[in-house]
Amino acid sequence: MDRIALPERPEWRAKAEELGFTFADMHGEPYWDETSAYAFTLEEVEGRIEDPCTELHAMCREAVDAILSDEALMERMGLPRVRWDFIAQSWAEGAPEVYGRFDLAYDGTGPAKLLEYNADTPTSLYESASFQWLWFEDQVAARVLPDGADQFNRIHEALVERFAEIFAPDTDLHFAAMAGAPEDYATVETMAWAAREAGMGAHYTDLESIGISEDGQFTDAEDRVIGTLFKLYPWEDLFADDFAAHLATAQCQFIEPAWKALLSNKAILPVLWQMFPGHPNLLPAFFADDTKGLADAAHLMLAGHVTKPLFSREGASVTITTQGRVLERATNRDYDRHPMIVQAYHPLPVLGGMRPVIGAWVVGQSCVGMGLREDAALITQDLSRFKPHFIEG
Amino acid sequence: MKRSRNVSLVILGAAAFGLAACQQEEQTDAAAFPDMESCIAAASQGGWFTKEDCETTFAEAKAVHAETAPRYESKELCEQEHGAGACGADSVQGSGGGMGGIFLPLLAGYMLGQALGGGRAMAQPVVPKAGGGFATPSGGTQVSRLNSTGKMSTSAFTKAPATVGKPPMTRAAVASRGGFGSSAAARSVGG
Repeated sequence: MDRIALPERPEWRAKAEELGFTFADMHGEPYWDETSAYAFTLEEVEGRIEDPCTELHAMCREAVDAILSDEALMERMGLPRVRWDFIAQSWAEGAPEVYGRFDLAYDGTGPAKLLEYNADTPTSLYESASFQWLWFEDQVAARVLPDGADQFNRIHEALVERFAEIFAPDTDLHFAAMAGAPEDYATVETMAWAAREAGMGAHYTDLESIGISEDGQFTDAEDRVIGTLFKLYPWEDLFADDFAAHLATAQCQFIEPAWKALLSNKAILPVLWQMFPGHPNLLPAFFADDTKGLADAAHLMLAGHVTKPLFSREGASVTITTQGRVLERATNRDYDRHPMIVQAYHPLPVLGGMRPVIGAWVVGQSCVGMGLREDAALITQDLSRFKPHFIEG
Repeated sequence: MKRSRNVSLVILGAAAFGLAACQQEEQTDAAAFPDMESCIAAASQGGWFTKEDCETTFAEAKAVHAETAPRYESKELCEQEHGAGACGADSVQGSGGGMGGIFLPLLAGYMLGQALGGGRAMAQPVVPKAGGGFATPSGGTQVSRLNSTGKMSTSAFTKAPATVGKPPMTRAAVASRGGFGSSAAARSVGG
């Protein structure tokens, strides 16, 4: 892996605007940044990212099975007991998953290490699947990238295939996000685009506009019954909302399915380490109150440790400690009240003064593409930049 | 090859959503006004509609409002959906009406749209929404403010089913909404 300075496409901002990529700049800072790109070899992508992430997803599925058959583990997941049956039922029915994103630390030498699994509400789908692809095609056409170059990106195609696999042609699907968040809406819209290409009817509704009919079914803003709902809204929040009482009886299929609440959850990290100790793509991880486990594993955490809440987004409430001292602490502390896990600290590599995190996309049960975000800070937060990548020919 | 063989360029905010799976809805010029006078004032500045368009569409919007406005069994229920002071008693003949009367949101204004391929301008009434803004009687099209112009889907001008002469909506029939979204910790919930 290398970080290579490249000329920007002269017209990319106009193109972004034309395509509706309105958050290419965010908080007054560039979010999409193509002044440089990450270069990989094909062996690296296949052997270090693609195959390990497909395997990680399979391990996660095993972990879901293990958690659902072990009440003590289920207790650890931080999810309301009253929803456990609903979660278990989604798994027992084989409710299909559509997508997820593994966040990995990878320095170009050793194996990629799993930092966390955004298995429920990953965003940056548009940048990864579409705008990054456009960058690649433009740069090949402009001879900035050589003819033999490639990109690990069959995200869009895989999504189309996945929708066609799960649903009968012309099935009506609803897509919902919270109103007023353009980054979230872009991910939902990209997903809906793929669904339509797969021959589905795609309808949008703001999450807040969802209603409940007399028969107890969810309805959209125009009172149409929602049979299948793609919700870019975390399960743990959905479970805390008033309408959670209707989940089990609304006859609604959810994407992602409820069992993803067990994976998009930092509690999965200690569970995975418990089930697959020493796996090359896992970092040692323990529940924060597991004092014995932590004491026994002290020799695995010599580089330090990271404390993470079970549920948090964009690095909120994460703390990195090395040699007994706080090295970095996320400024957003919204999740401080949540139960925590402790993960061995695995420093991100530094390239050009920036620290990249690899987002490896899983569609269905296979890893199908990637996108990178980099941040000058140790904790990747909401000011990070999205970076395109290519595979050297 | 790791890459997709063919990727359609996803355009955000364009055509991903809609009732018809494959066909983009046709857009037309549209304008919204609180009353006929405002429309006529705008028409005098030039543009695609005339004073006569303002008059005929206003008359049509009033008639469509009387025929299709949502009707409720109580003023309280109507105001819950459309805001305080936004509702009045139904005065339309033949409107059934039980002991307690029937209430409907007052006409707040109207929209006119250019007919594609020429012909008479299209019209739809708008009624207030609780919490701000306006909507067509079906609720299917929303406009944030009046005295505005822009592009709109032609389907926005499709007439809603008649409510006149039908039993008014009871509390149970008014879908309860807003049960999702209150637990979001941050503005953007994705990760």
